[in-house]
Amino acid sequence: MLHFKKHHLVLVLVLFIAVISSAVAQDNVITFSSYNSDPVPRATTEDIVALWNEQNPDTPVELSTVAHEDFKQAIRAYLTASPAPDVLTWFAGNRARFFIDRDLIMDFSSMWEAEGLEDVYAPGFSALATVDDGKYFLPTSYYWWAIYYRPSLFEQVGIEAPIETWDDLLAACDTFNAAGISPFSIGTKFRWPAAAWFDYINMRLNGPQFHIDLMLLKESYTDPRVKAAFETWGQMFEHNCFIPDAAAYDWNEALDIMVQGEAAMYLMGAFITDSYPDELEEDLDFFRFPIINPDVPIGEDAPTDGYFIAANAANPEGAMTFLNYLGSQEVQQNAFNEQGRLPTRTDVDISGATPAVQKGIELIQSADYVAQFYDRDTTPEMADSGMNAMMDFWSDPSSLDDLLLELEDDRIRLAAEQATE
Amino acid sequence: MASIARPRPDEIRRSRGRINWTPYLFLLLPLALYLVWIIGPTFYTMYLSMTNWDGVSANPTFIGLANYERLFRDRTFQESFANNIRWLLVFITVPTMIGLGLAMVFNTEMRGGRWYKISFYAPLVLSGPVIGLIWAWVYNPRAGLINAFLRGVGVESPPGWLADRDLAIWAIIFAAAWRQVGYVMVLYLAGLKNVDPQLVEAAQIDGATRFQLFRRVILPLLAPVTTIVIIISVIDSLRAFDLVAIMTNGGQRTQVLANFMYIEAFNNYQMGYGAAIAVMLFAIMLVFIAWYLWRSLKEELDY
Repeated sequence: MLHFKKHHLVLVLVLFIAVISSAVAQDNVITFSSYNSDPVPRATTEDIVALWNEQNPDTPVELSTVAHEDFKQAIRAYLTASPAPDVLTWFAGNRARFFIDRDLIMDFSSMWEAEGLEDVYAPGFSALATVDDGKYFLPTSYYWWAIYYRPSLFEQVGIEAPIETWDDLLAACDTFNAAGISPFSIGTKFRWPAAAWFDYINMRLNGPQFHIDLMLLKESYTDPRVKAAFETWGQMFEHNCFIPDAAAYDWNEALDIMVQGEAAMYLMGAFITDSYPDELEEDLDFFRFPIINPDVPIGEDAPTDGYFIAANAANPEGAMTFLNYLGSQEVQQNAFNEQGRLPTRTDVDISGATPAVQKGIELIQSADYVAQFYDRDTTPEMADSGMNAMMDFWSDPSSLDDLLLELEDDRIRLAAEQATE
Repeated sequence: MASIARPRPDEIRRSRGRINWTPYLFLLLPLALYLVWIIGPTFYTMYLSMTNWDGVSANPTFIGLANYERLFRDRTFQESFANNIRWLLVFITVPTMIGLGLAMVFNTEMRGGRWYKISFYAPLVLSGPVIGLIWAWVYNPRAGLINAFLRGVGVESPPGWLADRDLAIWAIIFAAAWRQVGYVMVLYLAGLKNVDPQLVEAAQIDGATRFQLFRRVILPLLAPVTTIVIIISVIDSLRAFDLVAIMTNGGQRTQVLANFMYIEAFNNYQMGYGAAIAVMLFAIMLVFIAWYLWRSLKEELDY
């Protein structure tokens, strides 16, 4: 019994100290919530924070890292808490817009002006930061999507990379299947890897303008062009282009199948190399998603990540100085050198880029339009319904008409809600 | 009290003064907590379910029953509801029967009996998410235990389990039932300890067969335990969440109401719609609660 009580005393004491110290520390500590939970990005973030704390011992940054998928759900609570974390990692596009529209994000135009950021950020990225003349977001890095493949397996079955047309892609599927190798690996447990396929097929078939209008809920899901995009995707199922049981794996587990040489290709973002074993990276390359309709402009997915400041931040001044550091040339240079993340600043030296990164930069620069990603370009609820429909379509392509009717129902309702806001 | 025809005014005053406030004082704190944490949120959720609140805006807009109209047309709701019912039906039958059977077996003294009991009870010590992770590995179509075994015995294309929309929900329910069996077993073992051995002996002397002994003596004596087991199974199956969230994230037609509610409220920022799902879940629970109350009240009246 006595022991039990002692325990309680210790607990109370610890809580007491925690409360007191947090109250005392609140003035100068900058709280930073990060979703960079994969090993490589996490280490980079920790290094960046450690460097800041070394240089600014009076205004230390307190980093808390939350698993990526959990962060996406918890951010709503973070932002409405009082005080909210000062600086947070987030995605550009509709995902940021949702919170900005609800006055949860601080306008830090003053910082953009004071630091002259307009001069060093490419116009496209400056636009991503802007809502109604205010600056709410600091885009710091982006990455490309492409079809990653293993050159050794291509050589083994006698297919030449890059695959440039849709017909060649389907033919390659047949060749790989005949050789006993799965053409594409994919893990759709969390759905988004499948959404990349819809993004690309829709952009390649109907053009980026139609795609983005669909994302903005301006075009109808019952439009024959949407149906055509799904049917084009359906051809891949007929040719057994994907590994079986894709829904059982997350994207990392599916990557193992490619690492083990049982699948040849993977449509994925550039962060694939973070998880790919270093010793096998020599045998990993990528090419642009094949052309389907040569008459439409080329759109690419290049999601942009960055930071924003919560409107309820306890320490907005500190948040801005830290944000300025996060967007600085030295930090972006470091992220580029260490992780191959493409910088949003024009004054980062990219001459030292590996051939792969140079190829990625070229891929994005030669695109006519750059999209964020299905679940970043459209509203959260539309993205959820859309990705559910994609998974249903994957299991049962014959249900397409019903699925599109349901999606259209959702789109009409969400567009109406958006109009009244 | 009834014999007092009409108390004089000064008597009333005195008896009022004699009211013992102490019990009420003690009740005050729990009641306040109950109001703040249970009753208040319940009614607030009902109110929220009639708004289109997104979880972050200051002022929810009242939209009447629109969320419910949408809910009844929503295919995911039908799917979730059906899955919860499947879960419930399996839970109140399979683990209950297996758990009872195991309890009957382990109630007798045997070598290593304790070890067996512990091994059946062990899964209950694990948290839901851990069980979800373990079974997701077991079900892994390529490297999982089950398919490795099936390939070993010569099955050429073993099922995809969690990737197969006809199998996935049953695979998850099986994992949940695996955990439940030990729980039911322990409850029944405790119940069996309370069975009066004299009754058993009397039945044996009267020449009852083992089945008759079980069916006519032990099972009726275990009735209170069975009620508790069924109540627990119903509650556990209606609040099913963690295994689905971990194993399939609601994909492959495995959605259940709790996870559906969570996704709508916290992923899609549709608090109002999520609240409507919560209210439906509450209504379903209420059916079982009413049944239980009706049963226990009837028993009390019988006495």
